[in-house]
Amino acid sequence: MPVVRGGRRCWLEFLDCYASFGPSFVPPLAPCGTAEELLAEMRFCGVQRALVHHTSQVEDSPVLGNRLLSEAVAGHPELIPSWALLPPSTEEQGTVEEFLGAMREHGVRALWAFPSQHLYSLSATGCGPLLEEMVARGIPLLLRRADAGWDLPYALLREFPQLNLVVVGHGPWGEDRFFRPLLERHPGFRVDTARYELDGGIPGLVRRYGPERLLFSTGFPGTSMGGALLALLHADIPDEAKAAIAAGNLDRMLGEVRL
Amino acid sequence: MSNPSPLTAEFVAAGRTPECPVIDAHAHFGTFRGIYFPRVTADAMVGTMDRCGVRVTISSHHYAFIDPERGNAEMAQVVRDHPERFRAYLALNPNYPELVQRQVAQFAPGQGFVGFKFLADYHHYPITGDHYRPALEVAEAQGLPVLMHTWGGSAYDSPAHVAEVAARYPNARLIMGHSGFGQWEEAIAAASEHEHVYLELCAAYAVRGAIDAFCERVGSRKVLFGTDLPWFDPHYGIGCVLFAHITDEDRHNILHRTAERLFGL
Repeated sequence: MPVVRGGRRCWLEFLDCYASFGPSFVPPLAPCGTAEELLAEMRFCGVQRALVHHTSQVEDSPVLGNRLLSEAVAGHPELIPSWALLPPSTEEQGTVEEFLGAMREHGVRALWAFPSQHLYSLSATGCGPLLEEMVARGIPLLLRRADAGWDLPYALLREFPQLNLVVVGHGPWGEDRFFRPLLERHPGFRVDTARYELDGGIPGLVRRYGPERLLFSTGFPGTSMGGALLALLHADIPDEAKAAIAAGNLDRMLGEVRL
Repeated sequence: MSNPSPLTAEFVAAGRTPECPVIDAHAHFGTFRGIYFPRVTADAMVGTMDRCGVRVTISSHHYAFIDPERGNAEMAQVVRDHPERFRAYLALNPNYPELVQRQVAQFAPGQGFVGFKFLADYHHYPITGDHYRPALEVAEAQGLPVLMHTWGGSAYDSPAHVAEVAARYPNARLIMGHSGFGQWEEAIAAASEHEHVYLELCAAYAVRGAIDAFCERVGSRKVLFGTDLPWFDPHYGIGCVLFAHITDEDRHNILHRTAERLFGL
């Protein structure tokens, strides 16, 4: 997206880390059923790429949903697939090694956990062997704030302090008091921008912790893409910081994954 | 970006435009429970307004919902200090009815206060209750705006409550803050059935499809922009309006023209 800063024209590329599509038990006000619909809205708003998941990964089972996602994004290189995990003990996704091999085969470099939907313990006891591999291989884990609250990220990072953990969808009511302590203790912990509407929130966070800890996101289709987009575009931070948040941070995280 | 809107292109390029001097019809002032505000002073808020192209903000003081005498007095001072940038709603606490009567009796247009603000969900007192009557009677007599926090499913300020108030006070200008968040159909019905009921977008703007539905079914001449500042970065809400699937005429109505007309700004 072209922007004029300090009298010169710049180009900012956006990579959304939190967008989804597919049918739902209760669809949002303006649903997005297919990858093609998502791509159309991305083009309308000037978002070039997105790390995406399919609603069936949340509302049905990752066993079905991961497959539906990979089928839907095939042929759309702008859409980067992210799978959902289940505890290794039931072997619904095979052994840990088999699951990692399937990720490699399908170009998946980030995982979601929806423990409140799929009823398991996201902990060393519940998912230890997989989480240990994720730490060793630098695989990012994404959690929705609405599912996890803040106690789960705190507990998870106590057990896996080097985990690349991204909590998305933290509310518009300015939850800095919850997530700043985690930013201070855990270098792999990050938050997104989909509903980080707090006036002065983004520049304050960047000044204190650097731009590396924020990832651009939209929360689409429940949330409008335009809000997070314009807020980052004109945040009171250097252009380099905007570029890092808009796409660079997530690109680097995914690029450093060792599968 | 395939969004064809020239207005969107201007905001994308510069973050503001003199062609669209935004009016924030739903803002606050001061600290509040449960939230960290990085930019909470009047000067900091004006800095944000300048950055985002917001010409005027209409605020109510957070503390005035607890202690109206102290909070409204502080809000009046902010308006006196920044007469070109702030207007105010007189905030009320219906759980102190004698204070409501005293505050409303002292209300005088032209001193920076342009109407009343109700926050019924926080007070656990319905907007249809008698304790709000003094304010509504003044609003009815003078055709004043009343901004009501409204929320879907609330026992105190749902769209159905607004419709009930609207039927009783046909001359007051009733603004549904947050557009009855979540009960979109009911909010649209209340605004469609009552000419003097308006939809205000704070928080609602983030819900994809809400702005589009309001414009299509109620009309953008009855939709107002608001941010709860110092809560939310105006650029966030403006971005939601700019990238909704509506016309630039709608965007101008929402971002300033409806408020200019309603508040005489």
